[in-house]
Amino acid sequence: MGPGAQRRIVVTGLGAVCALGANASETWAAARDGRSGIRRHVFDAGPNGPEAHETPAALVEGDIVAPLEAALGRRFGQSLDPFAILALAVAHEALDQAGLLGSAALERRTAVVLGHGFAGIHSLEAAFDRFYGRKAAKLHPVTVPKVMVSAPVSAVAITFGIKGPVFAVSSACSSSGHAIAQGASLIASGQCDIALVGGSEAIATPGCLRAWEGLQAMSPTTCRPFSAGRDGMTIGEGGAAMVLEDADHARARGAMILAELGGVGLSSDAFHWTQPSLEGAVTAMAAACEQAGLTDGDQVLISTHGTGTPLNDKNEAAAIHAVFGARAGRQPVIATKSAHGHLIGAATALQGVIGLQALRAGLAPPILGWLGRDPDCDLDLVLGEARPIEADALLLNAFAFGGLNTSLVFRLWRDAAATA
Amino acid sequence: MTALHDELVELIASEALVDKEKLKPEATLADVGLDSVGVVSVAFAVEEKYGVELPEEAFADATNFGQFLAVLETAIESKVGS
Repeated sequence: MGPGAQRRIVVTGLGAVCALGANASETWAAARDGRSGIRRHVFDAGPNGPEAHETPAALVEGDIVAPLEAALGRRFGQSLDPFAILALAVAHEALDQAGLLGSAALERRTAVVLGHGFAGIHSLEAAFDRFYGRKAAKLHPVTVPKVMVSAPVSAVAITFGIKGPVFAVSSACSSSGHAIAQGASLIASGQCDIALVGGSEAIATPGCLRAWEGLQAMSPTTCRPFSAGRDGMTIGEGGAAMVLEDADHARARGAMILAELGGVGLSSDAFHWTQPSLEGAVTAMAAACEQAGLTDGDQVLISTHGTGTPLNDKNEAAAIHAVFGARAGRQPVIATKSAHGHLIGAATALQGVIGLQALRAGLAPPILGWLGRDPDCDLDLVLGEARPIEADALLLNAFAFGGLNTSLVFRLWRDAAATA
Repeated sequence: MTALHDELVELIASEALVDKEKLKPEATLADVGLDSVGVVSVAFAVEEKYGVELPEEAFADATNFGQFLAVLETAIESKVGS
């Protein structure tokens, strides 16, 4: 069972916006059907920057602002950076699905913890363009509230009237994994009954993308997890959220329970800024699986970190073998970054939202971009088209730059009271 | 001048997210929904668009929307005329 021996922690709402869709079910449908949101885009830094360049990225398509303003009955104008708007959109969807909009429980017994690898980069680059490019000493008055890492959680708290524990966390590509873990801890410790958790990220700007290219970890074509010839990651933007809730609280109000958070494993490599360690990944995965009480007979849907970099995928494959031993080949493996890109701080949450829908549908979405077998990635990869699965557990991995790791295990909900 | 007046009302409505219908000369800034952040955002947008300087003290005596608008129009017209 989840962190904290007394309280079972369940999921009662999901929300997502990304290149695959404007909500959680559209996103799942696209992943299930093998559609990719990765396309080539031109990024133009304007008159004060270097030449425009074209690079693959997975961007949110269409306008999400107008529908969100209509749903919330208020306008944001220039007051929010895209990463905060994404957070509001997914928070709204998740709370709506959970039946919590307008609920008294939001005011005192709800926490908000979101993860972000960066901050309001669109707003920051616009401010720097003024400052350095136009040598303007005056910056827009709301630059600070737009850029700060906590802008999304504050926007969510203000919009939905949430007065409990509210803060942002950051651990690069594991940020929303840590956000989910933190939200669960707050429930387990009794500080709240509900936690809105997840993440958002919008860093596909001309300057930030050049910085990522400097790392020599980006693919010039697309993300090909576990494939021979894979050559790097692709940046994605978007957000995802889950409503975590104490099981008794959810049952008492007649909420529909989607899944249970069964195990959390957190570790740090203490090794390298960009290279992963086997030990760190194994520690996190093993801890999560053990806490969730997974047995040899369980089939586990593994939603890998699967960035498509030569190093991560090889290391992650080795870690899966180390944890599952002879059973490794029987666990279906998915890598949805091949469809929605790498959302950095929001990656874990988005992969969780897709993974939970996959678990509930009994279908694993295909890994895209695969060119051929890599003997170092000897796993049961789900390729081609969606595959029916028997798994009732989801293992969700995130292995971040800087060596910060989270592994989460979710299980289909088994209500002991209902079967008694 | 009427064109400038209309332009400014558009700009204020858009920058400060207030309803144009509420922007009546005798209404107080609180009535029209212009808080301190709204005033600074409008001032910033006007400075950008018309190339004028609007120090904070400029608005000190503006007790209603009509006076607020007059401060903006005066600053823009003095610059145009100079």
